[in-house]
Amino acid sequence: MFHVKISLFAKTKSLESKIDLFHDKIIDVAMTFQKAIRVYLNEQRSNEYKKLNKQIKQIEHDADIIRRDIESRLYEHNLIPDLRADVLNLVENLDKIINKFDEVAYRFYIERPEFPQEYHMRMLELCDQVTDCCENTAIASRAFFRDISSVRDYSQKVYFIEHETDVSSGHMKEAIFDSDLPLANKLQLSNLVTEVADIADIAEDCIDELLIFTIKRDI
Amino acid sequence: MDHMFFIFLSSGLFLGWSLGANDAANIFGTAVGTKMVRFKTAAIIASIFVILGAVISGSGASKTLMELGAVNTLAGAFMCAFAAAVTVYWMVKSSLPVSTSQAIVGAIIGWNIYSNKPTDYTILSQIISTWVLCPVLAGLIAILLYFLTKYWLKHAKIHLLRLDSYTRFGLIATGAFGAYALGSNNIGNVMGVFVDANPLHDVHWRNFSLTSTQLLFLIGGIAISVGIFTRSYKVMRTIGKKIIVMTPITAWIVVVAQSIVLFLFASQGLEQFLLSKSLPTLPLVPVSSSQAIIGAVMGIGLAKGGHNMRWDILGKVSLGWVTTPIISAVICFISLFFLENVFNQIVYIAD
Repeated sequence: MFHVKISLFAKTKSLESKIDLFHDKIIDVAMTFQKAIRVYLNEQRSNEYKKLNKQIKQIEHDADIIRRDIESRLYEHNLIPDLRADVLNLVENLDKIINKFDEVAYRFYIERPEFPQEYHMRMLELCDQVTDCCENTAIASRAFFRDISSVRDYSQKVYFIEHETDVSSGHMKEAIFDSDLPLANKLQLSNLVTEVADIADIAEDCIDELLIFTIKRDI
Repeated sequence: MDHMFFIFLSSGLFLGWSLGANDAANIFGTAVGTKMVRFKTAAIIASIFVILGAVISGSGASKTLMELGAVNTLAGAFMCAFAAAVTVYWMVKSSLPVSTSQAIVGAIIGWNIYSNKPTDYTILSQIISTWVLCPVLAGLIAILLYFLTKYWLKHAKIHLLRLDSYTRFGLIATGAFGAYALGSNNIGNVMGVFVDANPLHDVHWRNFSLTSTQLLFLIGGIAISVGIFTRSYKVMRTIGKKIIVMTPITAWIVVVAQSIVLFLFASQGLEQFLLSKSLPTLPLVPVSSSQAIIGAVMGIGLAKGGHNMRWDILGKVSLGWVTTPIISAVICFISLFFLENVFNQIVYIAD
């Protein structure tokens, strides 16, 4: 009986862990990014920053493998036929967040922007908000699989934090353009701030779709 | 005799075939339509359990039909089943929610009128009351199950994938139960009219034995199975998409509600249990599985707040309660006249 039970749910159990692992990757990449920006602002493109950048690349690569595995398993074993398209969509959207973290960290690596000391606090605050926003997106998405009643609570947090990032990035860009920096620097910094804030926008888009999927999941 | 028997039985077999095609689709339709269960799996399970239900528990509901009218010649039984089959075919073509049960009751009354036999109005009113009770009861059970399932899902916090496995298992298990209930409740429609004129003999083989009625029901059950394998796939695919957008879990609730109702109106064991406890019993009558489904779907619609409900379908169902037996009775009466006077067949034996 025990053996039968194991084989009956073995396939789903392994996929459940894969989905959990994928959500872990979002939290990993967000935390690593936050740390990397902190290091960059203090040490510029140091070895430590290079190491963290490499780590982000690795997380992104691992997440891609997990995503493909989830997608193929859902189709191969014909699982959740009614919600499969929604789950695939959700996983693809979450993957976009990870990709964006990688893209922005790499831009810092390539462009080596020089952030004057007075913007460090604001930049760190923006990064904290973006990280928080993405972490809550991952938690909301995880809840979609296990506990749909709490999806709304976490989604609300994401919306709130995303709005905060818009405000922070706006203030920062205003400050940058009010400064005496050369226009080329202003444009570069403003562009990077937009890129960082965009990560929260992608998270918000994920949540918009997630809420629709949650309505569909309700019996 | 045997040769003629099978010719006369053909109309019953045809009725069984159409029952298999349409009513089995009610049980596994959404599961197959939403690709939760493969058609082959659904067809095998439905066939086995329809036959088991018909042979083991089919006598209760068909006994009531026999009390309504004891069709006592094979030619008469043939025409009753034929009239019911033609009515069902015509109603399906006209996209009206049809019930084999209502068609066969009409045909029996047609035979009663033609053969000058009295119709037992107590039995008739009992049967008619079950037609109304069937969708209402299915709706109430569906509402109860809907809220219980919702409550359980909210608190159990099961992973979506795990829930998918449970739902698949649930759809197969309740599909089997539904098929058993369908066989036991609806075999009376298919073979009930042949019971009194049945020329078959009891079969004994080692410790295993089948009465002549069970043998007749086995043949009917096989006809239903053939209907399931040859025709129900098409119907299942449409049902899965046609009925209001249902999730696999609501589909499961609908099948459970329908199966319970069919079982309640067919189980002699339950009747005896209720009698032993001095509780009121439900009459054992063949009821419509399609109308039970409609009742259950309506119940879920109401439980969800009653938005986007198609109330006109209730009107269609009520219209079916009146039109189906009348059409069937008229066809049966006219056809019996032709069978007796043109083909010189004995369609009834006077008392």
